[in-house]
Amino acid sequence: MSDEHGHDPALEVHDLTVSYLRRPVLYGVDFLVPQGRLVGIIGPNGAGKSTLIKSIMGLVPASGGWARIYGKPVKEQIRRVGYVPQRESVDWDFPVNVMDVVLMGCYGRIGLIRRTGRKEKARASEALDKVGMLPYAGRQISNLSGGQQQRVFIARALAQESDIYLMDEPFSGVDAATEAALVTLMKEMRDMGKTVIVVHHDLATAREYFDMLLLLNMRVVAFGNTREVFTGKLLQQTYGGRLTVLSEIADKVAKDGG
Amino acid sequence: MALFVTVACALIGNYLVLRRISLVGDAISHSVLPGIAIAFIMTGSRTGTPMFIGALVAGVAATVFIEILHSRSRLKQDAAIGITFSTLFAIGVILISIHGAHTDLDLDCVLFGKMDFLPVKEPVFLGLPGVAVTMGALAFCVGLLIILFYKELLVSSFDPALAASMGIHPRLVHYLLMSVLSVVVVGAFTSVGAILVIAMLILPAATSCLLSERLWVMMLLSLLHAFLSSLAGVHLAVALQVPTAPACVVAGTGLFVIAWIASPRQGLISLWLRNPDPEGAMEA
Amino acid sequence: MNARSITPVLLFWLVLCVDAEAARIGEITENDPWEQVRRFFTLADPGLRLGLAGALLFGAACGLLGSFIVVRKMALIGDAISHAVLPGVALGFLWSMDKDPLAILVGATAAGLMGSLVVELIQRTTKIKQDAALGIVLASFFAVGLCMMRMIQNTGAASRITGLKSYLFGDVAVLNRQDVVTITGVVVVTIFMVILLYRPLLTIGFDREFARSTGLPVRWFDCLFQLFLAFSIVVALQAVGVVLVSALLITPAATAYLLVNRMHHMLWVAAVIGMFSALLGVFCSFLGSNLPTGPFMVLGASSLFLLAYLFAPRHGRFTRWMSYRARRRNVSNENMLKSIYRMIEKGIAGQDGRVGVSMDLLAGERQVTMAELVGDLRRLRTLGAVDFVDGEGQVVLTESGFKQARRVVRNHRLWELYLTNEADYASNHVHDDAEKIEHFLSEEKVAEIERQLDFPEVDPHGQPIPGRDRA
Repeated sequence: MSDEHGHDPALEVHDLTVSYLRRPVLYGVDFLVPQGRLVGIIGPNGAGKSTLIKSIMGLVPASGGWARIYGKPVKEQIRRVGYVPQRESVDWDFPVNVMDVVLMGCYGRIGLIRRTGRKEKARASEALDKVGMLPYAGRQISNLSGGQQQRVFIARALAQESDIYLMDEPFSGVDAATEAALVTLMKEMRDMGKTVIVVHHDLATAREYFDMLLLLNMRVVAFGNTREVFTGKLLQQTYGGRLTVLSEIADKVAKDGG
Repeated sequence: MALFVTVACALIGNYLVLRRISLVGDAISHSVLPGIAIAFIMTGSRTGTPMFIGALVAGVAATVFIEILHSRSRLKQDAAIGITFSTLFAIGVILISIHGAHTDLDLDCVLFGKMDFLPVKEPVFLGLPGVAVTMGALAFCVGLLIILFYKELLVSSFDPALAASMGIHPRLVHYLLMSVLSVVVVGAFTSVGAILVIAMLILPAATSCLLSERLWVMMLLSLLHAFLSSLAGVHLAVALQVPTAPACVVAGTGLFVIAWIASPRQGLISLWLRNPDPEGAMEA
Repeated sequence: MNARSITPVLLFWLVLCVDAEAARIGEITENDPWEQVRRFFTLADPGLRLGLAGALLFGAACGLLGSFIVVRKMALIGDAISHAVLPGVALGFLWSMDKDPLAILVGATAAGLMGSLVVELIQRTTKIKQDAALGIVLASFFAVGLCMMRMIQNTGAASRITGLKSYLFGDVAVLNRQDVVTITGVVVVTIFMVILLYRPLLTIGFDREFARSTGLPVRWFDCLFQLFLAFSIVVALQAVGVVLVSALLITPAATAYLLVNRMHHMLWVAAVIGMFSALLGVFCSFLGSNLPTGPFMVLGASSLFLLAYLFAPRHGRFTRWMSYRARRRNVSNENMLKSIYRMIEKGIAGQDGRVGVSMDLLAGERQVTMAELVGDLRRLRTLGAVDFVDGEGQVVLTESGFKQARRVVRNHRLWELYLTNEADYASNHVHDDAEKIEHFLSEEKVAEIERQLDFPEVDPHGQPIPGRDRA
């Protein structure tokens, strides 16, 4: 499938259904992101936002449906995807410094056994500079603030030099200055033709940050340009939790079916 | 001899501590007992190879059991570890005590090691006893593997999700690490005994973890710890007339306590200097 | 799939059992095993009486305390404490220069308590995590203990220290009257403590922060709990041995955890399982000559655990597999009925359901071979849902079969409509999902959906939704 310019869409998700720990979280999710957009995924707690990203990455097995990056299965395109996990997902006491973490972003490209070289170091420094963390390159990661940790994660994703980025709650627990800096950075990335998809939990800022919004509550409530989608009615539907039968039944099927 | 054992253990122990699965090492070291017993009963020989294979199979089986129990029931990992290793160990003890009457497979030596009374009739290579050669080769292989796959091990220990998104399978890495661990534990087992292997695995890593903030520094420090503790241990053993293995562990513990108290950044002293109020230091 | 992964485990156990059996019978030819069994159950042997009483008591105590440590995810603390008591045992021995149970008990408990405090201290003051802290304490205390024991032996007290060896592997036969009195005392106090302090312990175990906020002295309770844990471990040590005592704490509690869902049930079940494992262990080691008690107790507990793991009413692997198979079969039955119904509906057969559907056509529709089809239909006939029309290669729905088929079709179409209308799915996306859901919708849910959709009659593809009551 291609859009009007004949490009492959950056991300195409078809009928994705996911049960996580025997609880269903996503139900027939279907959407298509064109290249070069900044997309926000919003929805209430437990709507399956993080799970959607993880399952696109193949980190959580899907029980149905598929996702494609630039027209090919994610597995074949893994180098073109940068993934930014939630900050809490790693042990910040780990004995590595900021530079080591960012260098990890290059590991996918250099392959097995070979070591990181000068080229990778330069790339990592550049990425650190972009997020304003270069002065901290030698710092041990447990001595960073929440905002700084997040910046390091973004720098690591930048070092991956991917075409599409999936970020899981990059704004949670960061200071206002960091949030503003990160949004500017994301917009720059978008202007360079990259596609950035961000899980976001704050409705108030969603409208100004993103070009497109995906309203998610177990299933796609709406997907489209922010102007068209950010309406009271659709938001009400997303956060209203009206589909009790759907979630109950899906719950039951996941339990019995496993 | 003591040195080779501690070096191999120390290297792999770093990853155990960082991945928070230290006690899997303990579990494996206990679980190899039935493997050794069955291998002995089946072949009737006390030579290295069958025992080594038996122990290896039992060790890997233990990690698989733990994984199954933990992922397919509502038990947490700690309980799964406890059940697996105690069951396997009990089987081992029973087998040995049933057949023990007609054998010279001694529980004492299985449990506490026999580093100090190495069998003299073992084949000798370059003036070193065979066991020492084996352990030396093992230590070398582990070191080589870690240098080669430093990157992959680092990323999959630090952030499994990222590793998976780069096409490095964290589960594959986990099982490989566990197999190498089994080999090392089995190698160390004959000289250190089931219970004290855990000390050889964890103490160097824990000590150097207190002193360093980079993984490769931590690795080097743990090697230093391994070296010092085996050196001090051997002397301690002679001085106090106690077995070598526990003496090495006691020496290692001493080093750990020193690091714990006096580490420049995380030691108790620096903690107290920064925040003399003991309650506050505790909370921090 | 799961069954396949379990089979080797079962085989492994079987082989072991047979092996153990053979060796035991071989060894005690001079003793009639039945005579031994009789002696065991009539409690003719005074030493046995004592040992059994002790074993049962600490089995119960370990089950009770173990429940708390299993739910608090600190199962291996027992392992650390049991190893950490060794220097205390050695010190207690040094104090009295004899195997004085009281001195050893005090020394061991103190060492065990110290071990658990050091674990906590390491976790609080450094970035070392719980697992490594446990490992450090376990090994270093144990090593210190080993060195001390050897040094005591070197001083020439070796003759009297032989009893100490039972601390490593355990043997109920060494329990004397005084030991059993001590055990009884400790266990009774432990049981009373658990009963009296059940609620605070439960609160702390579930949510420490909340417990602290309600003004409970959490640290004080922790220390008290550790003290009793150390006590019980020390008491059990003589019978089970250092290495395996943690199993008596973890395994019965974990078994109970698989069987029941509420904490106070879990406590009782764990205590009973602990006692039963202890009984099994004493029995087995009594049957054979010169067999250690501890490993058999652990093996007894592990066998019970394996049984629970496979056959627990709700969480057992085998139970789950069986019900999964039953559901699979049910789904395939219902799909067959649905196919027949739809063929009737399309007019390939008559309307009243009593007219036969050609089995050739049905096999084509279901995309199965004739042999498979006949097999499936035979199964349905035994359930009374279909019947064969003799000699014509046709099959008809019975009345109950027709009702069932209609219910499934109705569920399917209602669900499609629900997804399209209420959840905003495209109508060409809903069929696959409805294929799954139709088998799981309960009567109430169907009624609820129907109400929400205002009693519709046509599904999104324009097909009629069969009514509930029309016969």
